[in-house]
Amino acid sequence: MDNNNRKKMSQRQKNQIITGLFFILPSLIMTAVFVVIPAFTVFYYSFTDWNGISPHKNFVGLENYRKLAHLEGFGTMMMATLVFAVGMTILTIVIAFIVALALDKKGKGRINRGFLRSAWFFPTLLSGVVVGILWRTMYNYNNGVINKIIVACGGQKINWLETVGLTNFAIIFGATWARIGICVVIFMAGLQAISQDLYEAAALDGATAGQARRYITIPLMAPSITINMLTTSIAAYKSYELPYLISQGRPGTTTLLLSQRITFFAFNTNEYGRSSALAVVLILIITAFSLVQLFVMRGREDDA
Amino acid sequence: MKKRFDVKKFAEELILLVATVFMLAPIYYFALGAFKTRKSIIKHPLIITKEMFTLGNFPRAIKAMKYWKAIRNTGSITVISLILIIFCASLAGFAIARVRFRLFELYYSLLVTCMVVPFVACVIPLVVQAVNLGTHNSLLGPILIQVGWNIPFATFLFTGFMRGISRDLEDAAYIDGCSTFGVYSRIFLPLLAPVTASCCIVSGIGIWNDYLVSLSILSVTDYPTLMVGMNGFFSEKGNELGYAFAGILLASIPMIILFLFLQKYFIKGIAAGSVKG
Repeated sequence: MDNNNRKKMSQRQKNQIITGLFFILPSLIMTAVFVVIPAFTVFYYSFTDWNGISPHKNFVGLENYRKLAHLEGFGTMMMATLVFAVGMTILTIVIAFIVALALDKKGKGRINRGFLRSAWFFPTLLSGVVVGILWRTMYNYNNGVINKIIVACGGQKINWLETVGLTNFAIIFGATWARIGICVVIFMAGLQAISQDLYEAAALDGATAGQARRYITIPLMAPSITINMLTTSIAAYKSYELPYLISQGRPGTTTLLLSQRITFFAFNTNEYGRSSALAVVLILIITAFSLVQLFVMRGREDDA
Repeated sequence: MKKRFDVKKFAEELILLVATVFMLAPIYYFALGAFKTRKSIIKHPLIITKEMFTLGNFPRAIKAMKYWKAIRNTGSITVISLILIIFCASLAGFAIARVRFRLFELYYSLLVTCMVVPFVACVIPLVVQAVNLGTHNSLLGPILIQVGWNIPFATFLFTGFMRGISRDLEDAAYIDGCSTFGVYSRIFLPLLAPVTASCCIVSGIGIWNDYLVSLSILSVTDYPTLMVGMNGFFSEKGNELGYAFAGILLASIPMIILFLFLQKYFIKGIAAGSVKG
């Protein structure tokens, strides 16, 4: 009886695995053909001098990478990319966390939470093109609404899009605005998952609200913070049209990001090899950044 | 004891309200600007007056963006991609969540890794591939790419959802001699509506708002899409703020309407993505 049952079990498992393989197949084909293979092809192209037209791809070893290191403005570009990613991540996480804490407070005499959450989420519906165009017009020196408001308040016009350094922050603000909503929603889901019992127990033990936040909320929110930091920084490294449409890389090329240079080499100068080398750099940066963050934050979560 | 006016609570709500107003201000600015002339946008950017009202921006924006053609193309790409994504991801999610097999777990890790790969890094091979497949400058090109790039996250959502479904029904069905496919189609499929909605929305926003895929695969003259078309239109007529804002409004309005009706699923879809670290 028992033996018979086990046989039946394994037969059933076998059937499941065979059906499962068929179930996996369509998605496997699609991701392999359109994600995995292109990602590896980029590595291959980066070792060639291909220009996209010629039938020959000559193997040139690390030549493209060596040239990249000597590329004019390579340091500026890397710095701009790093500043953008780090700035956007920190700003987004900090604002979203505070807003989520505020939105988590319910009760009489407070504004409808559903409405506020939707309001904060709203900008994430807009495309990068829309957000870019919108912020570009708002930043405009003479006619932009931001400078109008500053002048109306008695301030001086600010040249948002043509000041070295400041423009880096101008693109961060635009990108952050479009990203906060997602992080707020994720933080709120995390906050709702924290049991109220913990707070009640802490209150019974005489903990202040600040202590409860420090010793209950923040440690228990560590997973949400990790996921938000990770997804936001990846999104920042990937962002392409949004920052470009705000600043167009100006002043000079000080706000031109790594992702934008990739397509510049590909479409404007037909340097496929060099563009691919840059793409590999982007992939490696994102991978390294994600691994480090996961590693550091995982360690912290375990402590908590 | 009488209720006293809570100053702290009031201050908190006030700050929150002001912050929310700032958050929404850019949207208010462009939505209002779409109905104003350039002059009045510059002169009085944030106030509503009767004299400034105009509908003239819309016909010109529609013409310059090739709006109807663009919305048809973007709409077809979005809808067809979503159908294929749901099909592939729900099947794969079922196998990963419900069949114990090492290879499936491995495949799941591969998909999670795929989510990290930046699309912009793979533009060149994808364009070359589209030319080789004959999908360059045809709607099939962006559809296939969108399907491939959205499957990882969609599978992630479906797997998470299906892991949460109780095993009792499934076990009963197997005992009654139901096949694995039968379990998927008769027991799981009817339960998948919420996650399908979330997945449609999260992937749908991405595909609708896409710029880079259409830009690299489609020619603007043959197949205008909303975002590429709008970018071109803005670089030509960027000074005409009224048209630009009308264009922004026209391109975003379908997603905004969808959001207003399906808010719950938007929020759920985003939050579901955070469950597993």
